[in-house]
Amino acid sequence: MLRVGIDTGGTFTDFIFYQDGEIHIMKIPSTPKNPAEAVLSGLNQWKGSPDGRQVIHGSTIATNTLLERKGAKTALITTMGFEDVLEIGRQTRSQLYNLFVRKTRPLVPGKLRFGVEERTLHTGETLKKLDVASVQDMVRKLKEEDVESIAICLLFSYANPHNELALLQGLKEMEIPVSVSHRILPEYREYERCSTTVVNAYVYPIVERYISYLETRITDGRLSIMQSNGGYISAKRAKEEPIRTVLSGPAAGVVGAFEIAKASGYSNIITLDMGGTSTDVSLCNAGLGITTESEISGVPVKVPMINIHTVGAGGGSIAHIDEGGSLRVGPQSAGADPGPVCYCRADNLTVTDANLYLGRLVPGYFLGGDRALCLDNAKKAFKKLASSLCISTQKTADGIIDVANATMEGAIRVVSMEKGYDPREFTLVSFGGAGGLHACALARGLSIPRVLIPKNPGLLSAYGMLLADVVKDYSQSVLIRIDELKTEEIDALFKPLIERGMDEMSREKISVGSLLLEKCVDMRYVGQSYEILVPFNEAYVARFNELHETVYGYSDEKRPYEIVNLRVRMVGGVSKPSLKKGRSKGESPASALVGQERVVYRGESIPFDLYLRERLCPGNRLEGPAILVEYSSTLFLPPDFTCDVDLYGNLILSPY
Amino acid sequence: MFDPIKLEIFKNIFSSLAEEMGVALCRASYSPNIKERRDYSCAIFDTCGDMVAQAAHLPVHMGSMPYSVKSAIKNATMDKGDVVILNDPFEGGTHLPDITMVSPVYVQDGPAFYVANRAHHADIGGMSPGSLPLSRDIFQEGVRIPPLRLVKKGVIQRDLLKVILANVRTPIEREGDLTAQLAANRLGERRFIEVALRYGYHEVVDYMRELQDYAERMTVKAIQEIPDGGYSFEDYLDNDGLGDTPIKMCVNIRINGERAEIDFTGSSPQTEGCMNATFPITQSAVYYVFRCLSPPDTPSNAGCMRPLKVVAPVGSVVNSRFPAAVAGGNVEVSQRIVDILLGALSGAIPHLIPAASSGTMNNVTIGGLDSETNTIFTYYETIAGGSGATPEENGVDGVHCHMTNTMNTPIEALEYANPLRILRYEIRKGSGGSGRYRGGCGIRRDIQLLTDAEVTVISERRKFSPYGLRGGLPGKVGENIVISRGGARRLGSKFAISAKRGDIISIRTPGGGGVGCPDTEKQEQKQDQG
Repeated sequence: MLRVGIDTGGTFTDFIFYQDGEIHIMKIPSTPKNPAEAVLSGLNQWKGSPDGRQVIHGSTIATNTLLERKGAKTALITTMGFEDVLEIGRQTRSQLYNLFVRKTRPLVPGKLRFGVEERTLHTGETLKKLDVASVQDMVRKLKEEDVESIAICLLFSYANPHNELALLQGLKEMEIPVSVSHRILPEYREYERCSTTVVNAYVYPIVERYISYLETRITDGRLSIMQSNGGYISAKRAKEEPIRTVLSGPAAGVVGAFEIAKASGYSNIITLDMGGTSTDVSLCNAGLGITTESEISGVPVKVPMINIHTVGAGGGSIAHIDEGGSLRVGPQSAGADPGPVCYCRADNLTVTDANLYLGRLVPGYFLGGDRALCLDNAKKAFKKLASSLCISTQKTADGIIDVANATMEGAIRVVSMEKGYDPREFTLVSFGGAGGLHACALARGLSIPRVLIPKNPGLLSAYGMLLADVVKDYSQSVLIRIDELKTEEIDALFKPLIERGMDEMSREKISVGSLLLEKCVDMRYVGQSYEILVPFNEAYVARFNELHETVYGYSDEKRPYEIVNLRVRMVGGVSKPSLKKGRSKGESPASALVGQERVVYRGESIPFDLYLRERLCPGNRLEGPAILVEYSSTLFLPPDFTCDVDLYGNLILSPY
Repeated sequence: MFDPIKLEIFKNIFSSLAEEMGVALCRASYSPNIKERRDYSCAIFDTCGDMVAQAAHLPVHMGSMPYSVKSAIKNATMDKGDVVILNDPFEGGTHLPDITMVSPVYVQDGPAFYVANRAHHADIGGMSPGSLPLSRDIFQEGVRIPPLRLVKKGVIQRDLLKVILANVRTPIEREGDLTAQLAANRLGERRFIEVALRYGYHEVVDYMRELQDYAERMTVKAIQEIPDGGYSFEDYLDNDGLGDTPIKMCVNIRINGERAEIDFTGSSPQTEGCMNATFPITQSAVYYVFRCLSPPDTPSNAGCMRPLKVVAPVGSVVNSRFPAAVAGGNVEVSQRIVDILLGALSGAIPHLIPAASSGTMNNVTIGGLDSETNTIFTYYETIAGGSGATPEENGVDGVHCHMTNTMNTPIEALEYANPLRILRYEIRKGSGGSGRYRGGCGIRRDIQLLTDAEVTVISERRKFSPYGLRGGLPGKVGENIVISRGGARRLGSKFAISAKRGDIISIRTPGGGGVGCPDTEKQEQKQDQG
């Protein structure tokens, strides 16, 4: 059986083929106009047998549709009097000190937002039943407007979906996709539920078209789609709830990092994915970190996603001096085109230029030497910037790196310390092109005891897709005080969610035996309005207090508790590539040593050993100062770090 | 000479420290006011109590927090582990519901820095639920807390806490919020010590000063963009909540090179009602305007204020004296201060100044006994309006402007927690002033009471509309309507009534002003064709 993980990126589409215990990697240029072309062409290049192949694809279609605002003509139906909730949002502005600030334009304009007379209360009681006759009138208007997709979000539908279901029934004759809020996100807070449902409706027809196109061409196997929660689902299901596929590529990267680190014995990790324009970080505390508070392109999307924090510092981030004389790096980026100064097409110095100037990037090995780097250009530009800062060029280059590191360090603090985690108890897993140049400095700054750099760090997202499970998340707002119910009674409330999950898992062809069921609750003290996610078992109350103490610095067992949402996560285990363990044969790393480079470190130019990573073997140990190069990435190992190659081929870096 | 790299790094460190405190406070607090609406701020201060960084939460807290911290330093000796609490508007506070906590950060045996946070509590006692009453003096507005140590050497002073809680309507919620405030300061203190250990005390102190100098340079840049000269403007507040006399507000801004003097001489004397600002509020509003004109990433700290001189006559509506009632000062007077400042500057830098925004926070407080659960409830919210059109495009509909940026309470959260039902929440079409660029529209929010309750509304721009610029029409004034069995009545800008179960309070907020003559565009098009 062949399994293929495919990640569509901005520049490359990455493939990992897994057959008979062997892994093959491939990178081909992306085809942005129709990303499916690269996917299909890559699949066709596989020379082995495609028998019973399973393809797991991380598609950027939903994300790009949303970012570029190229979704379907969508209508929204709400309770009458609340048609503008989507536009008003939380009535705030995104920037405090900007007299010209704008609001994100709603995905559905005013004239396509319709109200229906109906009302449900927070208790679930129906105050006013939906008038079915009024729906007929609306159907006519919707047809006149030629809408392609519909979202429904009625007040308190999470407590009683009756009116939403009646409305759905009335819209059947339209024969266009309808996204219903109590199905997409049965949770309280009307704006967020509405926004999430609207995004689903907005991207629905486009994602459906894309996946169907692939389905008709991948006939001899199964197509699955990666989700942002770290698991994948069948193509059929992804078409119904495309919202779950938004940002799935980065999520797969975290899955890959987590699984690889776990196999090596580290299950508390902070991932660092430094790319050209930005850096993504995520924290996994013995499991993937999940959030339900995401916002994409100014729009709240509240389905569970891997919690990824992004900051505008990447290899291409541009350095400049601001009005007050401070050295800034990013968030503007030179991207791949024009790229850094050393690509010879631009004159804005970037983080990459600073690394080159200091000797940490070795021109002959950058992207396997495919890309010529002109150091002279960079030198000139550094002279110019340094003279306006009145410091040496070397200090300027160092400074650019320090400032970029500070931004990334801030991002790591957000996912760790702000959430009550101590980075000293974590391993930093660095992947993406540029991470290896900065990982040691970040580990040093935050007292992180260890850095892990996986094999093929540039293809981790595609790899993560092969390491993922089938995952489905279900939730339901209940808003109950737990002093009113016994644990068994609360447990019984999970039943409908579990039944729905079992049913859908069987349609994913997951056997009951390989199913894993996780029950969780969103909990708070009565009166609070933020919740903490707690696994639901006998000890859940104690665990809640413990977590409250960790995150907020106090807890109070005497206060009454409230369960806001029930959550069920179903995980269907599938056969995955087992990570291959090598053996240490006691070889010396000398065969990987190809020379020496002079590198500036702490203001001094000192010789660094230059190694080819691919020639290193499990069990090898190197000591800094050293530079390790591979095709898509370079590792900078300062003098006060050692590097061990573990049995899986990962590099483990530790400070003295 | 400072190091431009360290400057940037410390900028990150200090702002993330304040931000982290904010996250802790928001998450751990109890009242929807703080959690859902984010009506709070966190900041860090140097040894003198001058601000170094503030998490960007609420502009109205910006200029006023330092006064609270300085007052705490002056009035209470702070040992290690102490926390000073205060809300006295005449000791650096704003209005009584805003409670500030100040903690010293001890490095090398002395208080080297301070961390502080301020949160708007849903009730602090006084004559009406929610503590934003139509009052005549400060004593009617609730418990006044001078700078006192709520925590001594790490031990909470239960006696003081009991006194405070005994005088508020919702003591359990208050205690939860106060605990959250303490937790936020504790976190800030801990982080601060880590920073001092990592970079060294002296370097931290040096870069606090450097960052203030940096912010000053950024503000100077903004002032230099304004041509030298004097610019004046005046506008009115509807009334003080007791009588119906308009309150005059005027300003004369004098720009001289790198410095600006903002002179409020000529503004009305302090009022008999609650529409009075204390000096820190006026300072905040001035700061806000110049901060908007400064480069986008200017850090919020004491340096920003250095090039600005504020002249506010003592005993006037912009610098009221004890025992003035001040409930409406930071929510309403502050908005009008911004309006007149922007109005004056529109004469100097018209391309950078929008027309008037809704100019009111539309404060609605509803409180009473929930007859079903037999518990006391207090509900407070502000309702957004329309923003003024800019010289480049239409204003924004339904958004909070200038001195506030608090979120609404989700309807599904509000109805779950209070005996209230929302019947309508929509954009008030046609309320934005016409113009070449139209002002943003206000909001209509209809709230039905499910129990008898006291309703207090403090709003503005029900009489004097938000101005347009360069021929743009003003935004529509707001309307407050109460619909009961006897029919609908239109009430004034400010009212306090005992309403009955079933009554509907319909608040329709003002739109923003327009910019440019409504038909200029058409004329231009005609000319093009001709």
